[in-house]
Amino acid sequence: MSEQVHNRLAVIRAERKVSRQRLAEAVGAHYQTIGYIERGQYNPSLDLALRIAKFFELPVEALFSLEPFRPLTDEIYGRKTS
Amino acid sequence: MTTRPLTRYDRSMLRLMNDRRSRPLYATAARRRLAVAAHVLLTAATGGLMTYSFLAEGQPVWALVVIAALLLPWMIATGAINAATRGLLELRERALDERQSAERARVRARAHQAMTLLLAATAASLLTAGAVDGHAPTAYAAPVLIAVLVVHWLMPLWVAGLTAQDEPEEA
Repeated sequence: MSEQVHNRLAVIRAERKVSRQRLAEAVGAHYQTIGYIERGQYNPSLDLALRIAKFFELPVEALFSLEPFRPLTDEIYGRKTS
Repeated sequence: MTTRPLTRYDRSMLRLMNDRRSRPLYATAARRRLAVAAHVLLTAATGGLMTYSFLAEGQPVWALVVIAALLLPWMIATGAINAATRGLLELRERALDERQSAERARVRARAHQAMTLLLAATAASLLTAGAVDGHAPTAYAAPVLIAVLVVHWLMPLWVAGLTAQDEPEEA
């Protein structure tokens, strides 16, 4: 099975100014794993996804979704999707 | 990574396998393929020379000198492949995270498939050689068995080196 899980990890990580290394150490993963998740080349387990969400103090659905994320600016300023 | 605590050995191996100083050796897929090709060639050359020096009369000293000289580049190539995979096959399970554990299982499965094909080809070759010359299977059995054993030992490393991905760039 190769279900694509979309994520906003790179955006959130950049916004919070957290390096891959720091996030990886905090959630008990390798820094490359964080990079592969961001690139969509690896889907994290539920356990790892929850640990990442806990680190950022966000609900897991704010970071991971089965549907593609809308751009954050669209969500903030309410632009309708076409 | 598992909940089992890392030992001092695990931590030192983890540091060693994630040392980025050797990155130029494996930064691109082409360089990783080159490292694996060099490793295969050096292994074949060393194995061939060992077989020759074992079978030749009077143990030729030059062959042993060449084997000793080949060991250093062989170790460098081994180190480059291990660094490219971040110690995927060298670290203990407890030092790997979930993606690395899954990757290690995938590499071992691929190596197993490749070895099955190689063993089938080797058995077919020995049987064919036996049909032509009845003594061939017994004459070649020992060196072929050792060669297959070496390939069996190193196949996961070669598969891991060839399937390693590029380092994700820091955004």
